[in-house]
Amino acid sequence: MSIIQTSTLKPPLILGRKTPTQVTSDVCTVPEKGPGRLWLPAFLLALSALLLGIVAVTYQIKVGIGTWGLNRTVGWAFDITNFVFWVGIGHAGTLISAVLLLLRQKWRTSINRSAEAMTIFAVMCAGVFPLIHMGRPWLCFWVFPYPNTRGSLWVNFRSPLLWDVFAIGTYFTISLVFWYLGMIPDVATLRDRAKGFRRKLYSLFSLGWNGSARTWSRYEVTCLLLAALATPLVVSVHSVVSSDFATAVVPGWHTTLFPPYFVVGAVFSGFAMVLTLMIIARKVMNFEDYITQRHISAMCKVVVFTGSVVGGAYATELFIAWYSGSPYEQFAFNNRISGPYAWAYAIMVGCNVVAPQLLWIRKVRETIALVFIISILVNVGMWFERFVIIVASLHRDFLPSSWTSYAPTLVEIATFVGSFGLFFTLFLLFCRFLPMISMNEVKTVLKPHEATESFGKDTLK
Amino acid sequence: MSDEKTNPEAKSSIKSVYWRSPEEKEGVLNQDDLNQDIQKALNTQEQDSGASRRSFLKLAGFSLAATVAGCSRGPVMHAIPYLVSPEEIVPGLSYQIATTCAGCTAGCAALATCRDGRPTKLEGNPRQSWSGGLCAVGQASLLPLYDSHRFSESMRSKKTEARREFSAITWKKADEEIREQLAAIQGAGGNIRILSGTITSPSTLAAIDTFLSGFEKSGHVMFDPLSASSILEAHERTHKTRVVPHFRFDRAKIIASFDADFLGTWISPVEFSKAYAKGRNPDSSPTVFSKHYHFESRMSLTGSRSDHRAVVAPGELRDAIVFLWDVISRKAGIENTLPITPVSNKVEESIQSLSTELWKHRGQGLVISGSSDPTLQTLINRMNHALGNYGKTLDLARPSLQKKGNDRELTQLITDMQEGSIDALIVQGVNPAFDLPPEAGFVSALKNVKLVIRLSPYQDETSQLSDYVCAESHSLESWNDTEAIRGSYSLTQPTVPPLQSARTLRETLTRWQGRTTSDRDLVREYWRREIWPTVPMTSFPSFESFFQKSLHDGCYEHEGSSGAKAPAWVDSDLVAPKESVKPKAGELGLILYSKLAMLDGSHAHNPWLQELPDPVTKVSWDNYACLSPKTAKAKNLSQGDTVIISSAGGTQIRLPVQLQPGQHEDVVAVALGYGRSGTERFHGIGPAWLEAKPSVGSDGRVGKNASVFLTLLSGELGNNGVSVTLKPDGGRSELACSQDYHSLTVPPHLAPKGGEVRDAVRSTTLSEWKNDPDHAIGEHHDHDKSLWKDDHLHPGARWGLAVDLTACTGCSACVVSCQAENNIPVVGKDEMRRHREMHWMRIDRYYQGEGTDIETVHQPMMCQHCANAPCETVCPVLATVHSKEGLNQQVYNRCVGTRYCANNCPYKVRRFNWFDYPREDRLQNMSLNPDVTIRSRGVMEKCSLCVQRIQGAKAEDRRNGNENGVETIEVACQQSCPTSAIIFGDLNDPESKISRSVATKRSYTVLPELNTKPGVFYLAKVSNQDQHNDPTTSAHPTSG
Repeated sequence: MSIIQTSTLKPPLILGRKTPTQVTSDVCTVPEKGPGRLWLPAFLLALSALLLGIVAVTYQIKVGIGTWGLNRTVGWAFDITNFVFWVGIGHAGTLISAVLLLLRQKWRTSINRSAEAMTIFAVMCAGVFPLIHMGRPWLCFWVFPYPNTRGSLWVNFRSPLLWDVFAIGTYFTISLVFWYLGMIPDVATLRDRAKGFRRKLYSLFSLGWNGSARTWSRYEVTCLLLAALATPLVVSVHSVVSSDFATAVVPGWHTTLFPPYFVVGAVFSGFAMVLTLMIIARKVMNFEDYITQRHISAMCKVVVFTGSVVGGAYATELFIAWYSGSPYEQFAFNNRISGPYAWAYAIMVGCNVVAPQLLWIRKVRETIALVFIISILVNVGMWFERFVIIVASLHRDFLPSSWTSYAPTLVEIATFVGSFGLFFTLFLLFCRFLPMISMNEVKTVLKPHEATESFGKDTLK
Repeated sequence: MSDEKTNPEAKSSIKSVYWRSPEEKEGVLNQDDLNQDIQKALNTQEQDSGASRRSFLKLAGFSLAATVAGCSRGPVMHAIPYLVSPEEIVPGLSYQIATTCAGCTAGCAALATCRDGRPTKLEGNPRQSWSGGLCAVGQASLLPLYDSHRFSESMRSKKTEARREFSAITWKKADEEIREQLAAIQGAGGNIRILSGTITSPSTLAAIDTFLSGFEKSGHVMFDPLSASSILEAHERTHKTRVVPHFRFDRAKIIASFDADFLGTWISPVEFSKAYAKGRNPDSSPTVFSKHYHFESRMSLTGSRSDHRAVVAPGELRDAIVFLWDVISRKAGIENTLPITPVSNKVEESIQSLSTELWKHRGQGLVISGSSDPTLQTLINRMNHALGNYGKTLDLARPSLQKKGNDRELTQLITDMQEGSIDALIVQGVNPAFDLPPEAGFVSALKNVKLVIRLSPYQDETSQLSDYVCAESHSLESWNDTEAIRGSYSLTQPTVPPLQSARTLRETLTRWQGRTTSDRDLVREYWRREIWPTVPMTSFPSFESFFQKSLHDGCYEHEGSSGAKAPAWVDSDLVAPKESVKPKAGELGLILYSKLAMLDGSHAHNPWLQELPDPVTKVSWDNYACLSPKTAKAKNLSQGDTVIISSAGGTQIRLPVQLQPGQHEDVVAVALGYGRSGTERFHGIGPAWLEAKPSVGSDGRVGKNASVFLTLLSGELGNNGVSVTLKPDGGRSELACSQDYHSLTVPPHLAPKGGEVRDAVRSTTLSEWKNDPDHAIGEHHDHDKSLWKDDHLHPGARWGLAVDLTACTGCSACVVSCQAENNIPVVGKDEMRRHREMHWMRIDRYYQGEGTDIETVHQPMMCQHCANAPCETVCPVLATVHSKEGLNQQVYNRCVGTRYCANNCPYKVRRFNWFDYPREDRLQNMSLNPDVTIRSRGVMEKCSLCVQRIQGAKAEDRRNGNENGVETIEVACQQSCPTSAIIFGDLNDPESKISRSVATKRSYTVLPELNTKPGVFYLAKVSNQDQHNDPTTSAHPTSG
């Protein structure tokens, strides 16, 4: 009887007694041999949504912002709601790849690659909205402080929108570099297995990776440094985004709570989106051994924690509105709860605060279908959170004569659908052509000799 | 431009590059000459390629001259080609020409601001003692001048079986044919009539007299769609003179109005508003402040401004007047033989209180009524007589001539026409086929008239039924004179050479008599013959100097009453007023009223007026059935539900419902003047996009014609004698209402504990104000305490506005004035409905109170030019910045359109260019103010405090080397305000008028708790009420 070390404290992260060779062949199957049957219909669907969005945006840029349902009182609605929503989605990727790397959380290895990809694509979707929400998007470069012949005309450093430009710009750059650098060893693996044109292409992008100990050492250090650089961004980006609202005078926006509230909300929505995507991906791509119940449970715990914090933030907002004694603040929150957009507030609280509480229950966490539904609900809820903050605050502010309501137009809805199209098109392309799971990192956590099946049943032999 | 400056033989020497006049189209201009000139200009350019900028300017100058000359029409007296430019006209610089407003029959003197030979703005003429500002209609009457839908010449119709077919003919041909036919009528001893609206022009009346004197049987009938015939009739009975007295609201201490909307639409609103505000000044010492009682069934603008508003049931107005007569006659010791019908308690209380006040202030009261019943008006006269008001608040020595319509004569005319005894009818001004109900029989009677000639600027309902349609000129391109109040004359002179080949009635009639005297000479000769002899000999050395001075000033007024004597009271028997119609159970009393912007419908072609939100309902682009919220609730109707209104006679119209707080429950009120033919043109006004909806109804027109419910019975054009039933038809037609929520009190279920009132509008009563001016308007916020240094020090001037809410009547003249001055586009009904109006100025209207006991406040709202502007900090590209002089400036060029500034503006005064608004009509574009940029799509805009006027004055000062100019700057809204409620000036100058206003205890800023430090101050509203409505008990007329 051979001595097999098993531990109740450290169960294996990857199931199926995978050997490194198996990992390589599992992960490389898709880029090399093509995806399963479901990929093409999914891709066509995503592409159609993207095309719809492109048509809508083209029409809007040609005709004017008037093709959206905005009015003199509600100057932002779907546009900035979508922007904040997508920026929020991105946050989980950075958190998983950077913060969890620094914290040496090994379980992150099998999901970090796709979570990071999700970050990049989400930030791309987010970036579209501030651009197209401009009345004259062709002049968007005016928001950059570049030397010019207009005097030299500078930008307004007091404007939170300008801070957004820097915050989002930095975030996208760091995320992209981090993601790409992290992928180089795996691209090199693909290169080594490929032939002809594909080999040339992969070798171009693998930057001459030779797998030497020195290369590995530098790679590790660079990743660690980038992780350290990216970590503050997890906090800063959404804090800056929240300043768009927090620095304004609009009741319901003018709140010091916003930066932490937005950051936690972003992580919350990001993890929900990672859950949604991973639950689909592990099924479709046959990665059930890599993205295991354990991963899902861990993410569920993050979701239930951040969801509770978000719930606390909602309560704090209400308390402060009451405590401030400001009639405008009090009205703004009364109006949120029982005004014309009460339904949106109810969706927000129901999806963000109530639904995730079910994840306290282990049975629920281990029922994939339920987790999937809850993750979708959280995504919906977080979209509505931004909608409530933006529209429900704007539509009734100080002077009752200017109170209006807002309803989206077809163009706005098509643009929203289009942003999902963009996201999924890019994500599906990523799944198809790049290693979706970080092979080199997963290999570090393999324990091929462990009797994984025995885990949790009879651990003592 | 006066005749001295235009070209005599001017066959327009140069072809315009951007002007496409109808003359040019029809080849009236000599193309060869034009081409030669252009060729010459182009040749010069080629040879002189080194100086292409100069050549360009030369060409630009040519095209400018062509613009002016290209549309001129001989014979004109002198010519000064722009080669030798007239001294007073500098290209690009504006100058003013005095004229008279022709928007309604009130005849206010006006100034036309012109540039490069074309008017771009109309303003009030402060030289006329009784007017001053200019109302919304007057402001907007500039636009039709540049209307490409106007007739360019004459048309002759050919009757086919089904309809008439019109073909264009030249004036020459039309004159020939008409003269021939008239001669035939003359020869046969035929009967001719001229039907017109009130004509206040003495020279036109003289021309009509001369013209008609050539016929054996003839007559001139005037009628007013908004009739004051009953007042004329009553004065004929009581004073033997058929005039409207000159009402002196400034002298009245107690004003009692029985359904007379004198601040909105009644007789002469600008004049009355000015006088009304003059008689209500809380800052005067001793206090001059009238008390205004108003009795009405619907909610009018005047009612909304009154101190004591009593809501009467339909038909109860007559009883209330009789009741008041009864009380007053007893006080005066006159025996009253009229039986009294009991009135509701509330009305009785009001009448008792009113009669006490009237009796106490005998000779200082003024009782008026808008009723169409002459016997009721006679009773009003009796009251004014018994109270000794004649000669004091009602001036008959110098009466008003602004309404002359005679409903009796109109009825007689229609009867004569029906009998076939009229051979020729000339219709000018009014539009009887539209204005009169079908029952009146005008349209059917017209078939019996052999020759119908119509003078009109547009194809309309009446011209469709005429044999000849002659183009009538716009007042800004023609000569005219006006005597609105006896002894007060004003002149109209062309500000631009006629854009269309149109003529005035006076010139046309003179031509048909075979004389070719020019219009100018007709007016001038009349003045020499009739007015010059009445001018005191010492005033002017010669007629020439008198005429030139009057032309320059725009008006001339006889000093004093110049010996005119008021006609004496003539006793007559007391006649009981007609019993009024009261609706039966299940019926509603229908009240037909006119909206301030649309009046009788003659301005239906004017998009500015169509888009102007009604001062009371805030709805634009439509008429609707006003119902009290309670009635609507009982009938399960909400705003925008369509109902079919039908009378017992079977007349029906379908209209959307508008909830109108403060209206009597048994009343449905509908505005006249809608459903005009020609409004089909507005189908596609505004931006065209995927979800855009047309600005017209399903029948292709704006609104529905409610004049079908008017009554023309026993010589009275009645507007409220009909009872109707209301039937919901399940449809909806969303109204374009610029204000969704109508109270300063937030909805109770959303209010913090104890309710919440937002004090954007502060008000107090006269007694509170006098007793405790320190606390009357509520807490004053201290602006001086701040942790931070001031961002903006304003070392020189700090421009600001003060808006006096006591003086403001909500008449919206400022809104249109601002639109005209600042090139604000018209966006159409759908965009208005989506709350994307572009008006830089709006008038917020808030209700307080419950049921019919409603108090209303109006608050003009524009950019507040904050010193700590929330908009400025958030713009990423610095497109909105603070000027050294306190202006919050919007830099259109720099704006990328994030709309963050608008979101962060607590006053919500910023307007975004959602689309490129249509500017395709090149003729219409001539009305644009060249000093103000046309904003492109995607940029933000807002009130600039008329920065172009400030800069213009400063430039003028620099040129003249002094600093007085800036002290006389008047911004557009201020200039047009009839009540001088808006004051512009330098807040840093302690001596300026604005600083003195701001220093009073009535002054406050809106939302001071945000510490935005606005440059716009408000002076609280003071009303002369017995008690103030507690706003915290406010109901929610229409929930948001």
